[in-house]
Amino acid sequence: MESVERFDTSGMKRSHWLAHFLEGWSVFIQNPLGKAGVGLLILFGLMAAGSVIPPWIDPMYQPMTGVDPEIASSVGPSATHWLGTDFMGRDILSQLLAGARIAFMVGVSAAFMTVVLGTAIGMTAGYMGKAVDTLLMRLADIIMVMPTLLFVLMLAALFGQLNIWTIVLIIGLFRWPGVSRVIRSQTLSLKQRPFIEAARVAGASHLRIIFRHIMPNVLPLSFLYMTFRVTSAITIEAALAFLGFGDPGTVSWGMMLQWVWKTGHMFQAPYWLLPPGICISLITLSFYMLGRAMDEVLDPRLRKEEDAS
Amino acid sequence: MELRNFVFRRLIQVVVIFFIIQTALFLLFRLAPGDPVERMVDPTMTPEDADRLVAVLGLDKPLWTQYGIYLKNFFQGEFGTSFYYGQPVVDIIRDKLPNTILLFTSSVILSALVGIALGKIAAWRKGTRTDTWLTIGSLVTHTVFLPWLALLLIWIFAYRLGWFPITGMISEDVWLDPDAGLWTKALDIGHHMVLPLATLFLIHFGSSLLVMRSSMLDTLKEDYILTARAKGLTDKEVRNRHAARNAALPVVTGIGLSLAFSINGGALTETVFTWPGIGRELVFAVSHSDYPLAQAAFLLIAIVVLVANVIVDVLYAYLDPRIRY
Repeated sequence: MESVERFDTSGMKRSHWLAHFLEGWSVFIQNPLGKAGVGLLILFGLMAAGSVIPPWIDPMYQPMTGVDPEIASSVGPSATHWLGTDFMGRDILSQLLAGARIAFMVGVSAAFMTVVLGTAIGMTAGYMGKAVDTLLMRLADIIMVMPTLLFVLMLAALFGQLNIWTIVLIIGLFRWPGVSRVIRSQTLSLKQRPFIEAARVAGASHLRIIFRHIMPNVLPLSFLYMTFRVTSAITIEAALAFLGFGDPGTVSWGMMLQWVWKTGHMFQAPYWLLPPGICISLITLSFYMLGRAMDEVLDPRLRKEEDAS
Repeated sequence: MELRNFVFRRLIQVVVIFFIIQTALFLLFRLAPGDPVERMVDPTMTPEDADRLVAVLGLDKPLWTQYGIYLKNFFQGEFGTSFYYGQPVVDIIRDKLPNTILLFTSSVILSALVGIALGKIAAWRKGTRTDTWLTIGSLVTHTVFLPWLALLLIWIFAYRLGWFPITGMISEDVWLDPDAGLWTKALDIGHHMVLPLATLFLIHFGSSLLVMRSSMLDTLKEDYILTARAKGLTDKEVRNRHAARNAALPVVTGIGLSLAFSINGGALTETVFTWPGIGRELVFAVSHSDYPLAQAAFLLIAIVVLVANVIVDVLYAYLDPRIRY
């Protein structure tokens, strides 16, 4: 009997949640920005998934180690190399596809870390208030004025070559202040609501109030910020690789641009210079558009204003 | 009076923040894996010189004493000797800092002014084709990958068309020419600065434009705008005098928040264009394991960002009297 009842409520909850999601999705997908962003991301997702195909066809298409035995220099597009080859005779298209995988990996994992940290810190600061709040927010201020890219450079100088996961970790540790500020102010306003008061009177612990009552209400905002953080993580990794401090074991788009630039091919080989730059720019653009479209879904006020005119 | 209090408070905060950054950097340099002596002492020095330097920096003493010496050296402008150049770091920084400040401030101001002006137009003509194109344009330029944009501009405007020099900040023949006046020299720098400035401008104006646009749309719904219209003011007066002034405030906040981002972009731009600035020097020092130079360059960049932050805050307080109370 009891189990049936529990099943019922959870089913109701799920359908409620689903209805919410579907409503949001329909608004989201009607938005031109959302449409364009999702379309581009699907394209990049296909690229990342397709990155396994070329090495499987022929080992010379290995993005990092595969070299065409007949070509040892940068040659323009041909039937065997659709986008041409780089200075060592490696296939540019396979590198471009592998780069999509790296970009997703770096972007999403760094953004996820940022958002988890930012949400946790923001909720703690907002909920606890007083000294904890002051301390955490001053810390956020300090980290906020630090140029992340240059700081990672300093770390590269001290610790030597950084691998891709270390880079992801550092980006995650340095990009949370923006998220935590927003989550904090949201928490502050939630704290004043009657349902929190009710939970406290009912004897809920602080942890329970934070996780059970506050977190579900700030999570949509966190997700919104996650899309913006993906863009900044991808850009920072690409810039780092471009400057020559990327992970030498991975082929990222930033790395490809560094090879073009450092080997002095930028004036001779547009087939090599253009694709990685276009990809980095478009993937950041698509996550950015996604974020702005989500903004409108999450903030009905914004949506109505848009409709009214 | 209130403004002065406000500035004073902000200055103290900034000094504290700088102090914390400096301490963090000190700890990183001493506690990172490997021998800290190797990071402070030029490997090409004779053993006697090296020993003397170790004694001067107190590298054989406890961390607290080292920290004291480190702070004292900082306030005396003593940053050590660059491993690569073999000359005092402070001289190198003094040469490069003005170049960075020139590029950084002109790009921040230019992109803010243009962003505000265009955002105002986009909001005023909301829903028209002008608005759509301005919004799309700023989204695209805002997310384009900076070093790639820089390479493209060099490729098109410097290499193909030959309108601007490919790299650098000055042409030697102009500066070695004894007849060249101040004006010629300034013009020469300006000529070199067009492409780096264009790169930074294109990346940054979009965010100001988007903020200005949405803030202006909010402002236009305010009652005082209705009042202004009811008074019979012209559209232009309402737009420029009543709406735009208030709408520009969030843009100023946005600039303050993105200063660290701008200095990252500045370092990338300097590197691609070999603009002799402090950001490029930092990248260079890091790739040559020139620790004293890297550390000083980073601290100086931190100071630039912090000072710029204070200036933006003061500007905000000046523009919005509510902040001061």
